[in-house]
Amino acid sequence: MSIIKTKNLVHEFIRRDEERNVESITTALDHVSLDVKQGQFIAILGHNGSGKSTLAKHINALLMPSEGTIWVDGMDVSEEKNIIDVRKSAGMVFQNPDNQIIASVVEEDVGFGPENLGVPTEEILKRVDASLHAVGMEKFRRHSPNKLSGGQKQRVAIAGVVAMEPKCIVFDEPTAMLDPNGRKEVLAAAHALNREKGVTVLWITHYMEEVVEADHVYVMENGKIIMDGTPRAVFSKVDELKAHRLDVPQITLLADFLKKDGLPLSSGILKREELVHELTAICKTYGVHPKTGQQNPKEEKEQSPKDAALDGNMMILDHVNYRYSQGTAYQIQALKDVNLNIAKGEFIGIIGHTGSGKSTLIQHLNGLLRAESGHIYVDGADIYDEDYDMRELRGRVGLVFQYPEHQLFGTTNFEDVCFGPKNKGLDKRTVELRAYEALQNVRFPEELYYQPPFDLSGGQKRRVAIAGVLAMKPEVLILDEPTAGLDPAGRDEILDLIADMHKELGITVILVSHSMEDVAKYVDRIIVMNQGEVLYDDVPKTVFRHYKELESIGLAAPQVTYLMHELREQGLPVDLDATTLQEAEQSILNAMQ
Amino acid sequence: MIRDITIGQYYPADSVIHKLDPRVKLFATLIYIIALFCFKGILGLCIITVCLMSVIRLSKVPFSYMVKGLKAIVILLLITAFFNLVFTPGEIVFWKFWRFQITDVGITNSVIMTLRLIYLILGTSLMTLTTTPNQLTDGLEKALSPLNKINIPVHAIAMMMSIALRFIPILMEETDKIMKAQMARGADFEHGNIFRRAKNMVPLLVPLMVSAFRRADDLALAMEARCYNGGAGRTKMKPLQYRRDDRIAYGICLLFLVIVAAARILLSFPQ
Repeated sequence: MSIIKTKNLVHEFIRRDEERNVESITTALDHVSLDVKQGQFIAILGHNGSGKSTLAKHINALLMPSEGTIWVDGMDVSEEKNIIDVRKSAGMVFQNPDNQIIASVVEEDVGFGPENLGVPTEEILKRVDASLHAVGMEKFRRHSPNKLSGGQKQRVAIAGVVAMEPKCIVFDEPTAMLDPNGRKEVLAAAHALNREKGVTVLWITHYMEEVVEADHVYVMENGKIIMDGTPRAVFSKVDELKAHRLDVPQITLLADFLKKDGLPLSSGILKREELVHELTAICKTYGVHPKTGQQNPKEEKEQSPKDAALDGNMMILDHVNYRYSQGTAYQIQALKDVNLNIAKGEFIGIIGHTGSGKSTLIQHLNGLLRAESGHIYVDGADIYDEDYDMRELRGRVGLVFQYPEHQLFGTTNFEDVCFGPKNKGLDKRTVELRAYEALQNVRFPEELYYQPPFDLSGGQKRRVAIAGVLAMKPEVLILDEPTAGLDPAGRDEILDLIADMHKELGITVILVSHSMEDVAKYVDRIIVMNQGEVLYDDVPKTVFRHYKELESIGLAAPQVTYLMHELREQGLPVDLDATTLQEAEQSILNAMQ
Repeated sequence: MIRDITIGQYYPADSVIHKLDPRVKLFATLIYIIALFCFKGILGLCIITVCLMSVIRLSKVPFSYMVKGLKAIVILLLITAFFNLVFTPGEIVFWKFWRFQITDVGITNSVIMTLRLIYLILGTSLMTLTTTPNQLTDGLEKALSPLNKINIPVHAIAMMMSIALRFIPILMEETDKIMKAQMARGADFEHGNIFRRAKNMVPLLVPLMVSAFRRADDLALAMEARCYNGGAGRTKMKPLQYRRDDRIAYGICLLFLVIVAAARILLSFPQ
């Protein structure tokens, strides 16, 4: 039985000026037809702005179609009398975990939906119990949502929808703002609901890894459905996906490379196990005998960046300690005896899961937080000296916070970028020159310089915000999760931009991230933080050799590292230190000659 | 730091006080405030102290946690104590300089006023510490429901209050973040005269407003998606119903008021 069915669904956003004249029309949905059966797990993929959220809002009667029809559980959504019933059958979980929880206690929030439906008290309590259990949050029922992690908040939001006993739940990018662990938690909760309670799931995302287990995938672009099929069918068209600038799971991509290199692999490989299996099978049938020799990773120590750069140290952290909420019951040791040397021109990645101390660490580097004990030296001067100029330091060490676009305030983009240099007390001409240069450096389109920042897309806003820090001409640029919330295309653009700035402007870059894949591709040195301590500090290859330890602290090494180790276990003499796709491809080909 | 303030936050625990009906707690707080401002003499103070302490014990909220809430008003306390101390005329003057004088009445007044303020904060924060914001607004909604008849949208007001309470910590954190982000761009929130400082707040307030509107927008959608339709036809997950404990608590409150009043009338005569 179909639970959601649309026929030639069209939605136009009409923008009017003050006299109600039509200014512009944006077609967000363009003749979308789809049919979802009860009990399926459906994924919808697409860039930001591809129309997937607009589609989701139709399913929940939060938007009405301009043309065409949509039926939810047999009801025509555009009929006024059906609205409450439609919302009852199709619940919705939104992107931002904070902005959808209304109550200050978990259980009261979960009860909010049933209360609105007029469910009797006894029954509400039962439903709250059951739905908190379904998402594994029963332990937190009396907690305040503010003290929960992003993944936990999102599970509370799911419980809130489950308590309304919908037949179908639409997840509108529920993982976009979460860290990798949170993403796993939420995805697992959705799968459990689908499997155990038979709830139909519509999972909207731009992370390809999340849709591998789905029953059916729709790919949207410009308001149209451009591809659909099983995950295997969709992902076997690697070139087509790439042409639409969509991401493909790393393993699928690697398999595709190898296939083009002439290995007889089947197309649309989704999981690591499949690839390992097929590669070993090829070895057997073609009688390739895995070469022995170089069993262990090269033990000769590569020169670690620390030794290499000892003379050029511009920043030294010496036994730095810091505690939050010092002297209270909530005291947290956020940094524990941190010692680091940072040389001019380095490209460093700082990795750690949420709460590992990475954000605290970078706020020390430009003096926003003051260490409780220990010293920080910049170019030989102790920044805690009384006559040290902190504002000067903040000009030299630029810090771009997470979601930096939330700090924009100027009436035009250009004006906003001027803010930093203006604060330095420079004259008007220099200020404008610097703002111009900074916007050029982030490749911001010139015709938008004098537009207000609030109309831009997420990725463009982020560029303006980064330019705002660049305009201070920092020697060190620190970026806290610069790709958070962006879609894959936006993510790659920002990362490439950062890499280019490092190369062309010669600035030292410190990139904070929880994505190993991102970091492995770009940086020369990785600092792994765990519980306020520096766990590893070395070149990526050496750090990833500890992939098992990384996993035990909730971080994962790049997919490729795992693959290499598994192939080695099967007897293939591949290079365990390969971390990027290209290296892996080369190493597998060499091993299989 | 902003996040260390404990006033107005809920402290989860399993106690008799936590389980009381919010209307009882509102009423008790009202009675308590009346008592606090009309008691006289050491006996009255003792009665109030004993009652307050026993209620705090019953609530299972650690006393040290409550005292932390006082940190926010230390300055106010000092000012009150100081002014009462040096400006009250009295019979016995211990010390005099120009207009300032320390007298016996001044000392008593300053001690009493400071204690009053401390007790006021402790007592009222005990209510917010033991009552979730939602219960509190539920209580207000129900207690004020007669006002519905004269077209005051009590439900909507209560809903707005509970949402405001939910978002205060979030917006505080956001303020902290934006402030740091602008400081990283060389902004200065601490120096300059009042006009300069007001002007410097623009880079903080504009993003904060933008974010508040964005959140409001998101929240409205999320509420609609969960079939929120105003107060009509809603049921309650935790409907307010008086139980035996609540009736006893009402009784205790009244008794308390009577005793404090009696202490004032009977024992202030000899003086």
